[in-house]
Amino acid sequence: MSAKNHKLFILRPGDKFEPLNLVLGENYREEITFLVLPGVTAEIDLNAELSGAGAEVKIRGLFLCCSDEKVSIRTNIRHSVPSTSSSQLICGIAGGQSRASFAGRIVVVQDAQKTEAIQTNRNILLSDSARIETHPELEIYADDVQCSHGATIGRLSEEEQFYMRSRGIPEGEAKILQMISFLAPVLEGREDKEALMQQIEKSLRQMV
Amino acid sequence: MEEDKIIKEFTSGEYKQGFITAIEQEYIPKGLNEDIIRMISARKQEPQWLLDFRLDAFRRWQKMPQPKWGHLKLPEIDFQDIIYYAAPKKDSERPKEIDPELEKTFEKLGIPINERKALAGVVAVDAVFDSVSVATTFRKSLAEKGIIFCSFSEAVREHGDLVRKYLASVVPAGDNFYAALNSAVFSDGSFCYIPKGVRCPMELSSYFRINAAGTGQFERTLIVADEDSYVSYMEGCTAPMRDEHQLHAAVVEIVVEKGADVKYSTVQNWYPGDAEGRGGILNLVTKRGICKGEGSHLSWTQVETGSAITWKYPSTILKGDDSSSEFYSVAVTNNFQQADTGTKMIHLGKRTRSRIVSKGISAGSSQNSYRGLVVMNPGADGARNFSQCDSLLIGSTCGAHTFPDIRSNNPTAIVEHEATTSKISDEQLFYCNQRGISPENAVALIVGGYAREVLAMLPMEFAVEARKLLQVSLEGSVG
Repeated sequence: MSAKNHKLFILRPGDKFEPLNLVLGENYREEITFLVLPGVTAEIDLNAELSGAGAEVKIRGLFLCCSDEKVSIRTNIRHSVPSTSSSQLICGIAGGQSRASFAGRIVVVQDAQKTEAIQTNRNILLSDSARIETHPELEIYADDVQCSHGATIGRLSEEEQFYMRSRGIPEGEAKILQMISFLAPVLEGREDKEALMQQIEKSLRQMV
Repeated sequence: MEEDKIIKEFTSGEYKQGFITAIEQEYIPKGLNEDIIRMISARKQEPQWLLDFRLDAFRRWQKMPQPKWGHLKLPEIDFQDIIYYAAPKKDSERPKEIDPELEKTFEKLGIPINERKALAGVVAVDAVFDSVSVATTFRKSLAEKGIIFCSFSEAVREHGDLVRKYLASVVPAGDNFYAALNSAVFSDGSFCYIPKGVRCPMELSSYFRINAAGTGQFERTLIVADEDSYVSYMEGCTAPMRDEHQLHAAVVEIVVEKGADVKYSTVQNWYPGDAEGRGGILNLVTKRGICKGEGSHLSWTQVETGSAITWKYPSTILKGDDSSSEFYSVAVTNNFQQADTGTKMIHLGKRTRSRIVSKGISAGSSQNSYRGLVVMNPGADGARNFSQCDSLLIGSTCGAHTFPDIRSNNPTAIVEHEATTSKISDEQLFYCNQRGISPENAVALIVGGYAREVLAMLPMEFAVEARKLLQVSLEGSVG
């Protein structure tokens, strides 16, 4: 029987994240979403082993840092049998003197054919003294697999800002719109997307 | 193809000639200590500063642990069991004839018959390359332009000040375990200096260099391109190289001054060990360049097919504003080979740009890793990096891994990295087979297309041979 499980973690100042260790059996599907709001220093540690055919894990995460937070995110996905899939999308914004790091690892063991694994990590730096590090890792010992990862660190596009400002949107508002559109894909497909986005927008407004 | 033929004749023509090697039978006992280093330095009649440099490096090396972070199964190396100043092989120790397997490979690569013996170690290199005329002509035309291109030992004697100024300015003596070892015991290597505003009229290759033979396992290369100069430097050889030394720890340093442009290409095809993974060269190399001045440019292109173990990260420090660097790599592993290779791009200057294109191909039971570092320092305003790492897997027992490390300390810098892993699909093979292309040729065709972006960056002399080399390296991996 297939089973699907959703987990949602919203981290507010003072919250801790207990390391998560999952073992997913046959046709078991798990979706984990975490939101790290401004003012949170946390270590997020997610480990998942896909040990039954048809198992699927989906990780969605975002973090917002604006002062001196330290956020470190570690994901470790192990595909140990054939025909499993994983997907990860983690987006983050770092301002102030914050430090953010992402270390994502995907291991596909030998004979775990027909594995599908996607990992994406996108980051935006807002200030001169914020730092972001990313280490996406792929370790693949099987050949009939589709695995990819992508990582970017960049800034809010000035052209986009100019476009909006030339149409009468103030700079601060333009930045908020940019950040919302940058983070929105993380919550795509969720029923409570609107409500969560409102919370994030509120945090963004406090940040800017 | 007519063009291929001309290219081959042209390259092999130059290759044949220009070696003069004064071989003296010298003997230094096994092991490594300060006395051995003093002995090496004395034999080479080096000045005091160079001996001090070696001793300093040795003292640092003694305190260093052997690095273990690579995704490699490295055999134990007994550093006291190595002869650090190897005398050329005696004729009696040489194999009597070329290994038939090797002969077949030479055939496929189109290596001229008289060169095969030297490459297989049946005769000494100088027994084949006896004419000096071409080399002298080269040297003359280079000297007219003020270009210095000679062996490292010669450079120490004739251009001591230049060597002293730039030696270890990019790779310090204590940089890492193997670089420190090399700094302590390096045997010889190449030195190249291009003066201000000079465009080197030919592609410099370590083939041409006089006394290049027998530089041994601890090679040291130093390339200095002064302001607004240009040079294209090629190292290595597409022919399979047999060598009695198991451990190779080379250092390459490149200094690129303001407005200068250096293109460094290398093809590495050291003996990879037999099909069961016995033997083979351990290639543990430190290569680094610095784009020192404004608008300088350094490009690395490498094709790695040999060695049992490859541990190599050609890197660039982008110090000058508006400087740029590229890294193009094809690394092929088959049987039980292991490769942990990639690059480092350290952005310091404003508007510096770098691009990384790495294509890994693993077959058999090999392990192939890309490891890279991209750093944007606080001063690197508007810097830009793009990395693309693709892995191609052939067979179900090999491994392909990607370990990038990206750090940004500047909000105006943009870094992008992407990696994919795929295999040659049955459909692709079927399509080719159906049209009468044998499985081996089909693999060669697909791999050739996959690696084209990198092969296109090689100088013409290398590109033609490199394509064939890929095919030879992957033989027997399918069907």
